[in-house]
Amino acid sequence: MSARGWVRHRIGTFSLDVSWDVEPGSVTVLYGPSGAGKSLTLRAIAGLVHPDEGNIELDGAVVFDHEAGLWIPPHHRRVGLMPQEYGLFPHLTVAANIAYGVHNPDSQARATELTRTLDLQDLQNRRIWELSGGQRQRVALARALATQPRVLLLDEPFAALDSELRRAVRQEIRQVLTASRVPVILVTHDAEEALALADHVQIIDNGRIVAQGDPVTTLRQPAAPRIARLAGVENLLRMRVAGLQPEDGAMICETLDDSPLTLETPLAEAHEGDVVTIGIRSSDVILASSEPQGLSARNVFAGTVTTIEPRSPGHDVTVDCGGGLSLVSHVTRHAITQLGIREGAQMWAVVKASSCFLLSDE
Amino acid sequence: MNRRTFPLGLPPGGIITLVYIAFIALPLIALFIRAISSYSLWDSLTSDITLTALRLSLITSLISMIIVVGAGIPIARYLSRRSGPFSRVIDVLIDVPLVLPPVVAGLAMLMAFGRMGILGDALDTAGIRLPFTTAAVILAQIFVSAPFFIRAAKLGFQAVPRELEEISQTLGISPWRTFWRIAVPLAWPSIVGGLALSWARAISEFGATIMFAGNLSGRTQTMPLAILSAMESDVGAALALAVILVAASLIVLFVLALAATRAAVPAGRLE
Repeated sequence: MSARGWVRHRIGTFSLDVSWDVEPGSVTVLYGPSGAGKSLTLRAIAGLVHPDEGNIELDGAVVFDHEAGLWIPPHHRRVGLMPQEYGLFPHLTVAANIAYGVHNPDSQARATELTRTLDLQDLQNRRIWELSGGQRQRVALARALATQPRVLLLDEPFAALDSELRRAVRQEIRQVLTASRVPVILVTHDAEEALALADHVQIIDNGRIVAQGDPVTTLRQPAAPRIARLAGVENLLRMRVAGLQPEDGAMICETLDDSPLTLETPLAEAHEGDVVTIGIRSSDVILASSEPQGLSARNVFAGTVTTIEPRSPGHDVTVDCGGGLSLVSHVTRHAITQLGIREGAQMWAVVKASSCFLLSDE
Repeated sequence: MNRRTFPLGLPPGGIITLVYIAFIALPLIALFIRAISSYSLWDSLTSDITLTALRLSLITSLISMIIVVGAGIPIARYLSRRSGPFSRVIDVLIDVPLVLPPVVAGLAMLMAFGRMGILGDALDTAGIRLPFTTAAVILAQIFVSAPFFIRAAKLGFQAVPRELEEISQTLGISPWRTFWRIAVPLAWPSIVGGLALSWARAISEFGATIMFAGNLSGRTQTMPLAILSAMESDVGAALALAVILVAASLIVLFVLALAATRAAVPAGRLE
């Protein structure tokens, strides 16, 4: 079961020209700024937009072929679409939402299984407005997967959640996606999400795919300056898992150096000894000019400023902490003068454990 | 700061509200008091004229409502999905019967469908005679009452997020079934509310009916027309008819209000 195809479509002066090829159980992330054509691509695959040209194949079956004049309507395509605000039916209970498109015993069994996997048993008789954002997301995912779709289309699936919750549920969702063996196309404008969830990234800008490949390489070397500014995850650290602390929900990682430094991160699906990539946004790294005292943040490193590079709306300051650890922090111009940040200066870099996230490339 | 004291403990707006309520309630109360104190009330209630008029009113308004809903739902749905100057014009045209004096509406229908009307010859050839028939009563009711229903249902359909219907289709449900499973349940309170207004207008219809359908007992004499006829000879009979019409209206509105509260989504939950 795979999903592949290409479409061209014009709306006014905007033109979309994209293609995709997604393996079962793998996640392709369409990453780009808003208005780039990401959602439009999903709508074309779902059959909610009739593209000018193209060919769309789902699990070996052609559902759109412009030249052959073939266009299968959405209700015969078997796609699972999860829109940004989830699109749950407010007049139905959770159970009725999940079972909405179910019409054979096989799907019924799948719905029951998903209700259990996504921990929704106790919510079955609730109405949608009684649910939290995270619960809504799980109901929407269960509903989309219950019909056993040939492709799963997720439009900004985490946008409606607050940032703490976002990081927490990402791993869980990723496991459900991988286990479902469905090709997944996920749309986001958040580089952190792309790094955490993608097996394959396609950067889309102004209707065109400007770069694609594995997440780290593709997002590290963004094709266009406009995208580079959006990317925002400057710290990608190769580290070894040194210990798991499930009781604290924490994980200890160390740098791959002879005298390693340790970093505390949230607990993730990993084993001791695994080498993983940890992402930290430069805006999540705090700098201090003297050693901070009485701080709740778990990670404090002393280091020396090596470079200061302007990047609107502030500066990227690189701090070498020794032990193979170098952190980039994004600070304002104000902070540069106030803290006396200059090359060679002694600084302390502070990172909350919850700001660290595991990339999907393990 | 001292609290301002108002006569009766009410601010000016409250007093005006009280006066207004009295203005509405007093005639209705008077109607019931006079009807009850009328020595011939029971006879009037069960008289042939009353029962015939009541039956005709209920049957014609029921048929009108079936047609109004049957045609009004597709019309409302169609209009809810259109925008632009053309649909603005259609919107206005649909509302014309609301502002047209009913007597004028009846006269206009006579000019169109009457024997001297512009479609008169064609209808005559087809063997159809409309004026002064029960069918004319129904047409008059539809003419004046349909805009209430179409307006309300259109607003109801417009409030249904399009995205929900799209999602329903991606879940394998055809557009037709999606309409019944998503759009209708979500627009339900508006549909029922519109039906209540429309029915109230149809059952009280007078001016267009008397112009286009006349006042023939058993064929075109509905309750409002019967009240007028009774007034000429017997005020007691008119009172009885009026009381029955009010009671019947209240019962139907109550039933429809109950149906509307069966709305699956509380107000404000439809985002």
